[in-house]
Amino acid sequence: MKVTIKHWHAVAQWRWDTGKSEPNSDDSEGDVCGICRVPFEGCCPTCKMPGDDCPLIWGECTHIFHMHCLLKWLGTAASKQQCPMDRRTWGMPTKFSLVAVPC
Amino acid sequence: MDARLRRVNKEIADCKNDRTSNIRIELVDNSPFHLKGSFPGPEETPYEGGNFDVDIVIPPSYPFQPVKMKFITKVYHPNVSSASGAICLDILKDAWSPVLTLKSTMISLQSLLCSPEPNDPQDAEVAKHYMTSKTSFEDTARYWTEIYAGGPGSRAAKVASPGARDEVAIAGLDPQHVTRFENLGFPRNKVIDALRRLNYRGGNVSKITEDRVVEELLKP
Ligand SMILES: [Zn+2]
Ligand SMILES: [Zn+2]
Ligand SMILES: [Zn+2]
Repeated sequence: MKVTIKHWHAVAQWRWDTGKSEPNSDDSEGDVCGICRVPFEGCCPTCKMPGDDCPLIWGECTHIFHMHCLLKWLGTAASKQQCPMDRRTWGMPTKFSLVAVPC
Repeated sequence: MDARLRRVNKEIADCKNDRTSNIRIELVDNSPFHLKGSFPGPEETPYEGGNFDVDIVIPPSYPFQPVKMKFITKVYHPNVSSASGAICLDILKDAWSPVLTLKSTMISLQSLLCSPEPNDPQDAEVAKHYMTSKTSFEDTARYWTEIYAGGPGSRAAKVASPGARDEVAIAGLDPQHVTRFENLGFPRNKVIDALRRLNYRGGNVSKITEDRVVEELLKP
């Protein structure tokens, strides 16, 4: 029997590589943005599509947020330019790498 | 759905699903932006056995602005206004962070009851009482828990009706001191007010002369 593949659909899943091994299914704190409480794989409340248009941002302190959520916080006077998690001055790591990896 | 509404709904649901923390949050009217929270008074404090209700208002720019909270239940505590229930707590003001939640903020309120900060008071008179005599302060706080928060002794007949409440104990004063100045011909409620304002308690009693008290009593 000879099978000829006429066309095919590739299906892939993606998630942000946040340095954590597995997404926590049970723990709501693990993989959600601490500011909007939406999972990292979803987009921030102001965006419609998750992915490159609504990236994550990673601070020197290793805390991660939706970039749009963090910028909104840093834009308020109340933030004093501090990380919402540890109140250290927000800084970007010198080597900034967040990549979407297939899994 | 707007981001604030989505987050608040999620937070309310989280509190409902969590049975370990003893924090309850319920709607006051149809809006999820005006809530009533409550928690039991922490053990081994004068608030033990009481149930404390908190009025919660979610501001328009939440979570970028702190949630507004104040006690509905009257609380005798240096960082809570004994008149209005207003709370002095850093995270409700300039130490707010958008990662704080209704639940974590309520837990902070609960721990504020365990560890008063009299140096940053909301109620200066209560803070003075606390610093002058901690034992006397705790007696008063315990009495408030009984009469206002449904504490352990609340079913006793003495606190059943507001008229039967002990105004001297509410003010955290010694009944003998009140009687002494009442006997000079001053009305009881004026004596209570004056002695409370003067913080006539503990080691202070020997420092405040009778003349000073009378002067305070004669103030219009
Ligand atoms: Zn977010
Ligand atoms: Zn976004
Ligand atoms: Zn951080």
